[in-house]
Amino acid sequence: MFEMMIEILIKTVVILGLPLGALPLIIHVERRGAAFMQKRLGPNRVGPFGLFQPLADVAKFMFKEEVHPAHVRPFFYTAAPMIALIVAILPLACIPVAAPFEAFGRTIFPEVFRSDMGIFFAFAASALGSYGILLAGWGSNNKYSMLGALRACAQMVSYELSLSTSVVAMIFVFSTNDIHVMVAAQQGYWFNFIPKWGFFMQPVAAMLFLVGIFAESNRLPFDLAEGESEIVAGYHLEYSSMKFALFFMAEYIHMIALSTLFIIMFFGGYNLLPGLELIADKIPLPIALFQVASLVVKIALMVWFFVWVRWTLPRFRYDKLMDLGWERLLPIGIANLIVTVLFVYFRN
Amino acid sequence: MEFASFVVFVIIACTLSAVLLGISSLLGQKRKIIRENDIYESGVNAVGSASRQYDIKFYLTAILFLLFDVEIVFLLPWVLAYKDSPNHDFMLGGFIFFMAIMLVGYIFIINSKALKWEE
Repeated sequence: MFEMMIEILIKTVVILGLPLGALPLIIHVERRGAAFMQKRLGPNRVGPFGLFQPLADVAKFMFKEEVHPAHVRPFFYTAAPMIALIVAILPLACIPVAAPFEAFGRTIFPEVFRSDMGIFFAFAASALGSYGILLAGWGSNNKYSMLGALRACAQMVSYELSLSTSVVAMIFVFSTNDIHVMVAAQQGYWFNFIPKWGFFMQPVAAMLFLVGIFAESNRLPFDLAEGESEIVAGYHLEYSSMKFALFFMAEYIHMIALSTLFIIMFFGGYNLLPGLELIADKIPLPIALFQVASLVVKIALMVWFFVWVRWTLPRFRYDKLMDLGWERLLPIGIANLIVTVLFVYFRN
Repeated sequence: MEFASFVVFVIIACTLSAVLLGISSLLGQKRKIIRENDIYESGVNAVGSASRQYDIKFYLTAILFLLFDVEIVFLLPWVLAYKDSPNHDFMLGGFIFFMAIMLVGYIFIINSKALKWEE
């Protein structure tokens, strides 16, 4: 019993600590990356290469005045940032960082809770993300906040459809809902050099999913929730100090969680990077360490891709955005699913 | 065991966000400026209240999302059961029937311009 509690605590702390600890670094990479692409310097004063800038920001968030306007609906206004952060953290609970391994005389599953419906749980949890935003907009009792929240929600639910169709197609291809089985199915190579990643089996689904995670995490080119030219700052307009920071953290953690799911389904999850298994055989370290390292590298590349896209593509117009979601991506997703099913049916 | 670890995870996540929220109201600077309590509308005086009517399209989007999302969720058990089913022809027939109904509904929505935003 005692051992079990220790195991649960260690898993929880590691799985929560990894993304939360990487958060300042990701924010720094994003800002320096933005500067790099625009031929600016970016934050470079605090610490070496400006690396301590995010820490300084955190300190400033803490000591800022917390404005609590008189016109808000107090309960929802306070609850919304908390809900946003909790809901962003939830999908991480069933995401494994390595394959199950033997230690201390039993099999240890490196995720907070083991479920054979892992993928399903992760998407159910990440779909709750719109609640934090909607409550923030409504609780702020401000026209701009409300409009921003409505827009963000309409956008998130619209793109969730095409995202779900691509997930259904992937679950069909692997015929499992279990993340470990799904990742194990992506081991090995075709013709000895193409990794058996989901991306090569279902490129259309991968594209739909990629567009979907940009829309779900409200990142450019889909950051209509914060269109500064029309609605000032969107749903977190009335928030200040740490309350604002919670939304900020929630957005980044949501982004990390969705990128991890993308990697699990389309880029082999914690499977070793192509070529790494040759080195891993020679070094007497547990294979789990290499798996964690591979997953972290893949997520880092994915985050860099987010930054890259952010400073490359301009923002959409709202009606174009909704048309793209409902009239282009959803039919493509459904057609992809039908084609996949027919292909599997006629191959047998 | 699994449920216990999930509960622990949720409790820790809740405490974390509550602590973060508490920190700034505890440590934050405290001033009393009346203007700060106003509704922020880019610095000018606020016009009207936030409880006004918003575009019906947002509501339609949400309702149609519910419809399609439930349809996609209904596909999940089918997708998982397909491989182990003894009769693949029957499974495929059911799938095509279901998708045909979904497609008719989709075409109706697009034709009725329920999701057109311009004009």
